[in-house]
Amino acid sequence: MDINKLEGEKNEGIETLPSDERRNFLKMGLAVTGVFLGGTVLSLTSVSTAKGGNSGSVIPVEGQYPYPKHYGMVMRQNNCIDCEKCLDACRETNHVPKGHGAWRTDIQERLTTIDGVEKREFRPILCNHCNRPPCVRVCPTKATYKDKETGIVVMDYDKCIGCKTCMAACPYNARYFSHDKYAIDKCNFCLDTRLAEGHKDTACAAACPADVRIFGDLKDTTTEIYKILHKPDNKIWVIRPECGALPNVFYTNT
Amino acid sequence: MNTKLFTTVGAAMLAGSFLLVSNASATDGYDEKKFGPKSLIVWEKPVKVTFDHRVHTDTIGLDCNSCHGELFAMQRGIAPKTGKLTMAALSDGQFCGACHDGKTAFDSDTNCTACHEVPEDPIIWTKPVKAVVFYHQTHTEQYGLDCDSCHNEVFSMKLGTAEKAPDFTMKSLYKGRYCGVCHDGETAFASNTLCNTCHIGAKGYDRLMGVDPHAAADDHAPSGH
Repeated sequence: MDINKLEGEKNEGIETLPSDERRNFLKMGLAVTGVFLGGTVLSLTSVSTAKGGNSGSVIPVEGQYPYPKHYGMVMRQNNCIDCEKCLDACRETNHVPKGHGAWRTDIQERLTTIDGVEKREFRPILCNHCNRPPCVRVCPTKATYKDKETGIVVMDYDKCIGCKTCMAACPYNARYFSHDKYAIDKCNFCLDTRLAEGHKDTACAAACPADVRIFGDLKDTTTEIYKILHKPDNKIWVIRPECGALPNVFYTNT
Repeated sequence: MNTKLFTTVGAAMLAGSFLLVSNASATDGYDEKKFGPKSLIVWEKPVKVTFDHRVHTDTIGLDCNSCHGELFAMQRGIAPKTGKLTMAALSDGQFCGACHDGKTAFDSDTNCTACHEVPEDPIIWTKPVKAVVFYHQTHTEQYGLDCDSCHNEVFSMKLGTAEKAPDFTMKSLYKGRYCGVCHDGETAFASNTLCNTCHIGAKGYDRLMGVDPHAAADDHAPSGH
């Protein structure tokens, strides 16, 4: 989905919204979210998810998380060596099928040649569990939503009709159609496979030998992820900040 | 009639060319019967070694029976088959070590590349992580290291020895073992920096093996990278 193109289009108005969405909309008092959040179509998503973004910064504002826990991940990107142990661990833990474009996390590679010397750079990617997730906004059956406890973008496989609108909407292409479940599937920060069993991290983070993937609760000021994100001299960035989805997967070089 | 003529002329030309070829080899002046095989002797085991008869006979002036007798059989391939043709045996004065003792000829623990080759292909480690490359030539030609700069107590010559050791990890390197002997931030770049100089990843490994690293993956990369 091209957000820029969408922005150029006329506001669809509230007449076409489902009635409870409209109710949420009116509850806000400030009826014109278009003004409040910059006038994007995506701003029509319920406002409780629209927190974060510290005056131009990609780092969420402290004390403004709408969930009891707010999970995120920071990648110490220059430590990634593409050993792909994370990929294997993810597939095994979450039973990600092989083929059919199924993936939950991957590593991108960029090769450049500088003064005749080949340089390479690796970047791990996964679902960004956005604060303002376009996939959630577009789902016609509410099969995908922000988990109220953790802020993780999860799937209700029974509700999913497999229309793939969320796949088109995701700025990160982080979704796939699972032929096993006959529904859309995606990374859920190992919510059902590890966090539910008391583990404190995801399978990919646990498997990483180079401490690239730091997973944790952004709200907890004692976590490593909090410290990395909020240390003043750390440069933090996200992928595609311009899409306005407010992602919760951050990148840094340490 | 014409065919017959052509055949005769053709046969004559062919014979002539044979004569020219044999003349050319005769002018080289190397007598294989006197100086031994002209082509290099190449042993593949225990590691690749080359031996040039010509240097030892024609140039230095040794006789066949200087070596062929007690030290080496005339028949090709006997010495490596004994299983005793090792550098340790050489320093004990056996085989080449009879002369290569540092007095008669250069000692067998020096001048390695006179007989051994620096591997052209990169060394590729896939354990404990996939994959790490090491280029011998960068270290010998560009930085002027000798074989024994690393092939002492740091690295065995034998392929795969380090990979089998449980302590072949980055933590060991930080403690000054393996590559960390030099890659300490002073002699060479510190081993906790510039990760991707040596770590080429699973994708780099595939590429070295001639496999397209992106063939299996679908194009799910967000644009702009």
